[in-house]
Amino acid sequence: MIKLVKKDLKLFFGNKQDMLLTFALPIIFITLFTFVFGKMGNTDEDNLGGVVHVVAGTSVMMLLFSVAGIGGSLLDEKQEGMLKKLLCSPMHPKHILYGKLVYANIISVVQLIVMFVYAWLVFGLDIMHYLPSIVLMILAISYACSGFGIVLASFAKSSKQVQGYSTIVVLVMSAIGGSMIPIFIMPEIMQKIAVVSVNYWGIQGFYDIFLNLLPITDITFLSKVFVLIGIGTSLNFIALQMFKKNILKIV
Amino acid sequence: MINVSNLRKTFDTIEALKGISFNIQQGECYGLLGPNGAGKTTTISIMSTLLEPNEGKVSIAGYDLKKNPLECKKNIGVVTQEIALYNELSAYDNLQFWGGLYNVPKLELKARIDELLNLFGLLERKNDKVKTYSGGMKRRINIASALLHMPNVLFMDEPTVGIDPQSRNLIFEVVEKLHKEGMTIIYTTHYMEEAERLCNRIGIIDDGIIVAQGTLDELKTSGSMKETVVISFTNLTEKRFTKISNDWNDHQRFDDTIHFFSKNIQGDLSKIILKCNEVGLDILHIDIRKITLETIFLSLTGKHLRDK
Repeated sequence: MIKLVKKDLKLFFGNKQDMLLTFALPIIFITLFTFVFGKMGNTDEDNLGGVVHVVAGTSVMMLLFSVAGIGGSLLDEKQEGMLKKLLCSPMHPKHILYGKLVYANIISVVQLIVMFVYAWLVFGLDIMHYLPSIVLMILAISYACSGFGIVLASFAKSSKQVQGYSTIVVLVMSAIGGSMIPIFIMPEIMQKIAVVSVNYWGIQGFYDIFLNLLPITDITFLSKVFVLIGIGTSLNFIALQMFKKNILKIV
Repeated sequence: MINVSNLRKTFDTIEALKGISFNIQQGECYGLLGPNGAGKTTTISIMSTLLEPNEGKVSIAGYDLKKNPLECKKNIGVVTQEIALYNELSAYDNLQFWGGLYNVPKLELKARIDELLNLFGLLERKNDKVKTYSGGMKRRINIASALLHMPNVLFMDEPTVGIDPQSRNLIFEVVEKLHKEGMTIIYTTHYMEEAERLCNRIGIIDDGIIVAQGTLDELKTSGSMKETVVISFTNLTEKRFTKISNDWNDHQRFDDTIHFFSKNIQGDLSKIILKCNEVGLDILHIDIRKITLETIFLSLTGKHLRDK
């Protein structure tokens, strides 16, 4: 499994296009949105809220696109015969999926770290003060999103189809989850629906850290971490079932 | 080394394999010859643990495929029809990855990669990304990736599809070398000349069943197949043809040409020519049509190996 992860990381860091989509594009969005929404408040606190919302919301949304791409790559490997060859090797088929999930986790963690470090360096977001909470939230969000791509891939026949599905699903999830417009200005019914989205829990978690100033031990903050872990575990379980049922079907 | 018994596989309503059985001894190169859709890839897929049969039993190197798939996998190398390589990685990195999956020790793997790249004539380009390689070069790396763990058995599923003659010859030489070194090889193809050149035993598969198997000589002599001498004459008359017919029963006339059929054309050719001279026939042209896998296949199945 480690060999699979190493190979995927090698492929990722050797591919300029993947690097641009994973790091440069979110940075461009964060920069643009922060300049627009980060200075709209009347107080410093309002402005901080704007920056936190943009960084958290955009990061989670872009993260979902990244992991969807990882799911798509699994279908590419199937189409090109790599999956067949992997299944002929003395490796348990489940390890192919676990390898992808670990890889998705690593990329997600790195992507979120880069986004927050960027926000710290460019917009002065104080990440150092809340480092343990931020790290915990980043790990929880990464875990929650890691199975998303595989689940999408198991409903698709090609990576292009995954791209199509992911655009719809991620945009809808981001819209209802508060990545685009803050939840608190949405109607009450939308605020209730928002809880089905991973974006919601991620953004609320970062609100707890930066705006509500909750410590890492606070149960309100931890409950969001647990919900994200729950989402991740459910998605990974579905991913495993769908992987066995659909993706491993070679002929 | 390999025992396949009564293998059956159905996909929805299509019966892909209808009870295939064969045995392969250690060190044999066994050719599975048949047209597209005959069941070659399904057989190989079952033997490489990719598919489960509906019925039947396979054992490889003494291990039952159903009970001990892992041990079977350790003993086999699979060259798939698809070129399963990561285009963005170098040939070396690809081989290192595939070798790593078989837990080949690091130092041993390094030496093995260099050895195989040298064997396939690609050592100098080992650090180039695979995407810069030609189709033939990719096929060579694809084969090399199945040999890193030095398997006892090698499955090659149409390994020369769509490649240049140079790469094809190199692959033939490597297969011959591996065979000489004692590796057991199963080679599927629909190119009869490949099977004739590389395989010491051939199974002819059609429509999910093995219609005949044996060495090329056994296949040639097993059925009612006969070789043909086609002789054209300048002065073939009815009287001369009758004289010839009295002495040679198995023949057929087409205008100025007679087709003589024989199981031993080498022995009978001189007799036929002598007889023609005796009856005063002047020979214009002689054509000897030997039994080939193509003709054997045609006589057994009524089909050509490849669409014409």
